[in-house]
Amino acid sequence: MFLLKEKRLYLRNEEEKFEGTAYARQVVRDIRFSTDARDFGYIAENIPCQDACPVHTNIPGYIRCIFENRNGRSYELNRMVNILPGVLGRICSRPCEARCRHGESDLGEPVKICHLKRAAADHKHAGHRISENLFAPSGKTVAVVGSGPSGLGAAHDLAALGHKVALYESMPRPGGMLMYGIPEFRLPRDLLMLEISNILRLGVVLHTGVAAGRDISLKDLLKKYDAVVLATGTLSPNELGIPGESLPGVLSGLDFMMRVNQGETPAVGERVAVIGDGFTAMDCARTCMRFGANEVTVNIRKTEEFMPVDEHEIFEAKFEKVKIIGLVNSVRILGKDRVEGIVFERNRLEFSRTGAGRDAVPISNSEFEVPCDTVIAAIGQNPATDFNDVKFKLDGHRIFTKKGTHATSVKNLFAAGDCNTGASTVIASIAQGRRCAHEVDALFAGRRRKTMLVRFEPAEQTGRQRAWDFIPPVPMPAADRSARLADYRNEVEQGFTPEQAFEESKRCYLCYLKYEINVDRCIYCFACIDVAPRDCIKMIHDVAIKPSGAYGDFVQTRDWTDVRAIAIDNKRCIRCGKCYEVCPTQCIHIIKTELIEQDLEA
Amino acid sequence: MPKNDHYVIIGNGPAGNAAADTLRASDKLARISIISDEMFTFYYRHRLPEFLTGAMDADALTVRPYTVYKDNNVRMRLGQCVERIDPADKTLYLKHMEKVHYTKLLIATGGRAFTPPHLAPFRDSLCFMTRYTDALQLKPRIHDAQSILILGGDLISLNVQQQLLKAKKTVYFALNPDSFWPLKLTPGMAARIQKSLEKKGVASCVAGDIQDIARRKNGKLEVTLDSKCAFTVDLVGCFMGLTPNIEFILGSGIDTERGVLVDDRLRTNFPDVYACGDCAQIYNPALKDYWVSVGWHNAELQGRTAALNILGDNKVIKPLKQGVLEVEGLKVNTSWWKKF
Repeated sequence: MFLLKEKRLYLRNEEEKFEGTAYARQVVRDIRFSTDARDFGYIAENIPCQDACPVHTNIPGYIRCIFENRNGRSYELNRMVNILPGVLGRICSRPCEARCRHGESDLGEPVKICHLKRAAADHKHAGHRISENLFAPSGKTVAVVGSGPSGLGAAHDLAALGHKVALYESMPRPGGMLMYGIPEFRLPRDLLMLEISNILRLGVVLHTGVAAGRDISLKDLLKKYDAVVLATGTLSPNELGIPGESLPGVLSGLDFMMRVNQGETPAVGERVAVIGDGFTAMDCARTCMRFGANEVTVNIRKTEEFMPVDEHEIFEAKFEKVKIIGLVNSVRILGKDRVEGIVFERNRLEFSRTGAGRDAVPISNSEFEVPCDTVIAAIGQNPATDFNDVKFKLDGHRIFTKKGTHATSVKNLFAAGDCNTGASTVIASIAQGRRCAHEVDALFAGRRRKTMLVRFEPAEQTGRQRAWDFIPPVPMPAADRSARLADYRNEVEQGFTPEQAFEESKRCYLCYLKYEINVDRCIYCFACIDVAPRDCIKMIHDVAIKPSGAYGDFVQTRDWTDVRAIAIDNKRCIRCGKCYEVCPTQCIHIIKTELIEQDLEA
Repeated sequence: MPKNDHYVIIGNGPAGNAAADTLRASDKLARISIISDEMFTFYYRHRLPEFLTGAMDADALTVRPYTVYKDNNVRMRLGQCVERIDPADKTLYLKHMEKVHYTKLLIATGGRAFTPPHLAPFRDSLCFMTRYTDALQLKPRIHDAQSILILGGDLISLNVQQQLLKAKKTVYFALNPDSFWPLKLTPGMAARIQKSLEKKGVASCVAGDIQDIARRKNGKLEVTLDSKCAFTVDLVGCFMGLTPNIEFILGSGIDTERGVLVDDRLRTNFPDVYACGDCAQIYNPALKDYWVSVGWHNAELQGRTAALNILGDNKVIKPLKQGVLEVEGLKVNTSWWKKF
């Protein structure tokens, strides 16, 4: 751990600034930075939302900015690590919400983190200034193949690090799956293009309609550029492998969505059976409802509980009258000249051999027929990795990279995103692309130029009120059913108003604030324990240390002779601040604890 | 059986009570607890429409008095809500922060009114009734209301409209043939039900689903259906079937789909945890489908079977033989519904 004195300039308040009487007062604070494993371990356990986010977005930080009506700053806190906040505020898979401490047993429901991200993007003022930390030009050139989330992540960071980036995209518009995979009613295209243009403004040269391996060879790219990053995603849909799959009327989910997003309106008929349980399956089903289908079913092998999509997505599909049929397995597709129906068999669930999750096991003699006009198979996709001229090692269908790196088996050729990991989420792909960019940069610079640190800053009492813990989640305003179905492009979620965003922001516990008792000043009066709303302040004998070096659980004791300290268990603490208020010796400190990306000097 | 067994039954309906009776008959010493989040003792749920309109008083709803449980040494815990189950630890967590350990658990929580997701935006304007407390709250509003629109998506809605007509209310009926519970209505069947209802005195019976509900200044509700029909009424009752009461189970590791998934011996995927009645979902080889059984008779039968298996028997629950159910003059073949 090392100590820096950081000088910060503050304007006294907003009114003074606008009245033109602003003056700056200088505040010197002890800011500490740490690379200690215990501090990273603290972040992982005590700020679970940030830990769950693949790019480690400072979630409590940006929610607090919304509370303070600093939407621009909130947007920038997002954009530092997640280059498409407005996009992700609409379509993120929300791993953070699944781990939000407000959703723990007895604490209510998770904070609507994703909706707040969108609110910051929606309500930042029109003249908002984008912040970029730019490095001096390096003179190195990099080709990024694929302009999906991982390609954009890689291109952004490479350009910011000073390299000349050419971004190749086989389709007419950039964005990859964001542009061609996700339906417009979830993600408006003008917003997507705006956030992509923020990346291109760094000097990234975009070549659309150019497919590597078809219009330009990978060999030529490797010759022309100092490094090449493959971020080609997963464009090869999995097949059902059942009889009748080649009949007209059987579509792959990916092809269907790509056709729709290029302006086609495929005829789907009255009854559609979608097979698959992921986001693509749900998107296909909801799209079919907009194209005139009367009965759309999503057929899944297990049950809703095991679907990889969140509850919110399931609700929206059902709201639009999509039916989810659980415990079925497709057996064969029926029809002469085109699809007329599909035969399923019933499944039962069994504990999987690995002990994690369940296996769907078909029940014998349980086949049944369902009439339908269209079958859409959305059962995942694999990377299309055939570049002919350059042979690189594969790991199954995916591009092989050396363990813990993005380097392929070919010199100066890197791979990131779904083509490397298999189909994942948008936010995970962005994280992959960015990590790959830093690896390419390290190749050029001969060292890492950025690293992650834990930053500690003394903080003041937040003014959070206990009553805010009982505010129910603010529902996302949404278009009614008729408006949704009237036009494929009509956005379903309307976004929080500033007032709704403020209300929702109050619910965040601000887990990045660490409450600590200074044992040297504590007089063991128990006043803090008396006012604590939960068992978050403990008499402890010892603290366990995990193999990773991180602090583990407190070893509690009730025997006074054994008590070595009274400590705040930040995993139980809900940051109500009551202990801070009642402490007669002011021995409780609040420390803002953040995971940040920092430049590394040579 | 060891004498320190604790059989816990969640749910105080016909399945839970039949199970408790069977358990006590075979095991005089074991502790038996029934936990229910309702405050009222075991009652006839299917008679709630009569209670709602004042045709029956509360005492007549009661199946058995509280003293019976005392006599049978069954501990009745009313008004206590199970928040979650830890089947690995054989522990129930109640909402009031109490832990209850069990040796064998029977989940018999029944069903509650189902609100189709597309009706969620109108929830505040709709009335629901599956429990005694619902009926108790709704009763004065029914008394004051002159005109009532029934969103008829299930057999209970037919029962309610009959009682409302008897109480001299103006009843409108919006039949939802697409998702009628628990029968699948063909257009022909729907048309015949509509005709039959109008004959019996329903002011208007149309097929359709809600498009919009607006509250007027005089307090009345203006309901527009997707068939473009509009009604101005005092109350809108929503009867769109039942959904199993299983929220507290989600995340416990006990497998659920629409209901708690059980095998033909009513066992869940965890040893010593059983489920029966309207909350259990069983694969029916004859139908080639999973089915949540409905009805008092089925619930009692399943409750008894589950109890025998808890006691160490190996009884298989068999689908009932096919029978005929009469719905508004229509005879429907059914193998799972005999009567309320």
